[in-house]
Amino acid sequence: MSENDVTLRVRNVTKRFGDFTAVDELSFDVRAGRVFGFLGPNGAGKTTTIRMIVGITIPDEGKIELFGERMSARLQDRIGYLPEERGLYKKMKIVDQLRYFAALKDVSGAEADKRIDFWLERMNLAEWKNKKTTDLSKGMQQKIQFISTVLHNPDLLILDEPFSGLDPVNVEFMIDVLAEFKKQDKTVIFSTHLMETAERLCHDIILINKAKKVVGGSLREVKEGYCKNRIALRATGGNAVLSDTKLVAKMEAHADEKEIELASGADAQSLLHRLIESGATITKFEQVEPSLNDIFIEQVGGHDSNA
Amino acid sequence: MRKFLAVVRHEYKKVVYKWTFLLGTLLFPIIGACFAIIPAIIFSIKGEPTRIVIVDRTNKIAPRLKENLSAEKITAKGEEAVKDSAKNLSVSQNDQLRQSAKQAAAVFLFVDYDSVGKTADQIRSELSDLAVSKEIDAYLLVPDNVEAPDAKFEFLSRKAGDFVAGDLIKEALNDAVRSQRLSDAHISEVTLKQLSAKVNLDAKAIDEQGREKDSDMLLAASFAIGLMIYITLAIYGQVIMAAVVEEKETRIAEILFSSARPFELMMGKLVGVGLAGLTQLGIWVASIVALLAFIAVQSNLSAMFAGLPHITPLMVFYFLLFFLLGYFIYAAIFALIGSMVTTVQEGGQFAFPPIMLMLIGFYFSFAVIRDPNSSLSFWVSISPFFAPITMPVRILAETPPLWQIALSVGINALAIAGLVWLASRVYRVGMLMYGKRATIPEVWKWIRQG
Repeated sequence: MSENDVTLRVRNVTKRFGDFTAVDELSFDVRAGRVFGFLGPNGAGKTTTIRMIVGITIPDEGKIELFGERMSARLQDRIGYLPEERGLYKKMKIVDQLRYFAALKDVSGAEADKRIDFWLERMNLAEWKNKKTTDLSKGMQQKIQFISTVLHNPDLLILDEPFSGLDPVNVEFMIDVLAEFKKQDKTVIFSTHLMETAERLCHDIILINKAKKVVGGSLREVKEGYCKNRIALRATGGNAVLSDTKLVAKMEAHADEKEIELASGADAQSLLHRLIESGATITKFEQVEPSLNDIFIEQVGGHDSNA
Repeated sequence: MRKFLAVVRHEYKKVVYKWTFLLGTLLFPIIGACFAIIPAIIFSIKGEPTRIVIVDRTNKIAPRLKENLSAEKITAKGEEAVKDSAKNLSVSQNDQLRQSAKQAAAVFLFVDYDSVGKTADQIRSELSDLAVSKEIDAYLLVPDNVEAPDAKFEFLSRKAGDFVAGDLIKEALNDAVRSQRLSDAHISEVTLKQLSAKVNLDAKAIDEQGREKDSDMLLAASFAIGLMIYITLAIYGQVIMAAVVEEKETRIAEILFSSARPFELMMGKLVGVGLAGLTQLGIWVASIVALLAFIAVQSNLSAMFAGLPHITPLMVFYFLLFFLLGYFIYAAIFALIGSMVTTVQEGGQFAFPPIMLMLIGFYFSFAVIRDPNSSLSFWVSISPFFAPITMPVRILAETPPLWQIALSVGINALAIAGLVWLASRVYRVGMLMYGKRATIPEVWKWIRQG
């Protein structure tokens, strides 16, 4: 697979429930071998979109293509899906549940058993193989669920809020496991509201809000689109330049540096030039990259962003 | 198809590999066997003899009473009672046990006691002392004025709870006193017996081939079949509902739906649980056959069950076929309910209508037993919801023409197709709706939108 292969192509997809439009004209691509962050506040339409991708529901309009084919039941076997709302059979042995989930993905018999043993070992849960769900802690159940999504060695992994309910140690552990997938050139889509995690893991992102795409692309592109007008400055002198409203729209003084928002039309280069001209001593001049969190809050408008 | 089979296997194992299934399956034949075998065992146990003193200064009653209480007479009476009870369903198992027990414990030992020249009070206190010192178990005082209509007999027993001895003495005494009064009226014993001989009405049905059927045993067998199907349908319907609700409640449905088609999943569930039900019924049918075989070799019981209708392998086939038809009708309804509600408790409230339908079907089977060829019997045995219970009963009572059976199968198969279609539409939407119970208009919308 080359970097330019598209694993998933979503085109103008719309889904309505009665009068409510859950997903509105959504389009995006997910490239092969990349980790794709699907971001947005609660109720933005993330889960609805994911359900359409994995073939649980069908879009009212638009089309979804997976591995270059239109979504079909057969393609489901190439996806590993970890839903946000997840569960296991309460009174069934772990190994039996995993065998069943594997069989539903067309992996059975000795091959299934081999993979189950491998993954239980990998997740440090081998001794729980013959225990029932109710004997396991929440975090352990979460890991079992993760195993159930990867048993059939899917080419595309879709994880809806994969880290919720995990302690920090296990979050790191899961990130390591995901890194292995990345190495195998598998595509990972995960939805989260934890912007720090998304920032760490994702190559590409899409941010949706109120059923619509807000911003999307590679993490770099997205950030660049937001970083042009913010500058962190540590300098002595040059105050006259900084009070020029044609250049500086807003300035916040932090402990030992200033954060500057450029006025519209002004650019960082001319500000730097003017500061040097004015004889200021500059020890730091940096275009500030906004965090995903900043972008998220700015775009979603703070409300409903408790997520 | 492979996935469908995986679902079937999963659902089957989930029901069958459970100790409750084992318990339920074993318990039924064991309870059945107990009811059939325990009386036989009690037969063979002879109770301790009741030592009794009969004080009869007139010497008119005592000889007759002693004869009536002899072992032979009691056994003969007991066998008659068992035969009667087998024919009469209203006699509870308790009574049956009582009657069987009568034969067992019915041994009386008559203790001599010299009452000459003693007053009634003297006799009473002497005999009471004997009873207290456990030398006798009971005594009976026959009054001097036996002939008088208000003659009062006194029976005192150390074994206060011994209803068997009490009942037997009462019966024997009644017989003895009546005989004495008759003979006092110069009616001879022989004439008396001739005059008071019981009419022997042996009710039998005649089937279309002109063979006789014992209607009482038929009633019992038909009732048993109807009850068995009703209970199994109710149990397995609820199993389906619980399984559906579990997958919805735990959100497993979402994983399942991302792996296989909802229709495949629902049908797999219905078939898997259905096979589990069939397994259980199969074990029961086999154990009933074994039980009948056991009864056949027990000579003293075979008389009791001699009138059992002849059950052919074809009847067993029909029985299982109609069980399956009923199962799929009700399982589809329960699956539909399960995907509407959010918890098993909530489902329990909605389970009322289908359970009601089954119960009505079960009650209709009584009408069918009474008159298998009436038009009511015809209609209820071909209509969906009721046919799965009433048709097997009708087949056993009076096998209807093949076209009626075929018609019933056809109508019920159509009903299944319709209900499964409805259920699958509700299932695939309802299973992903969390948080609140679906309302009927919502469900209707899901069905129409599909």
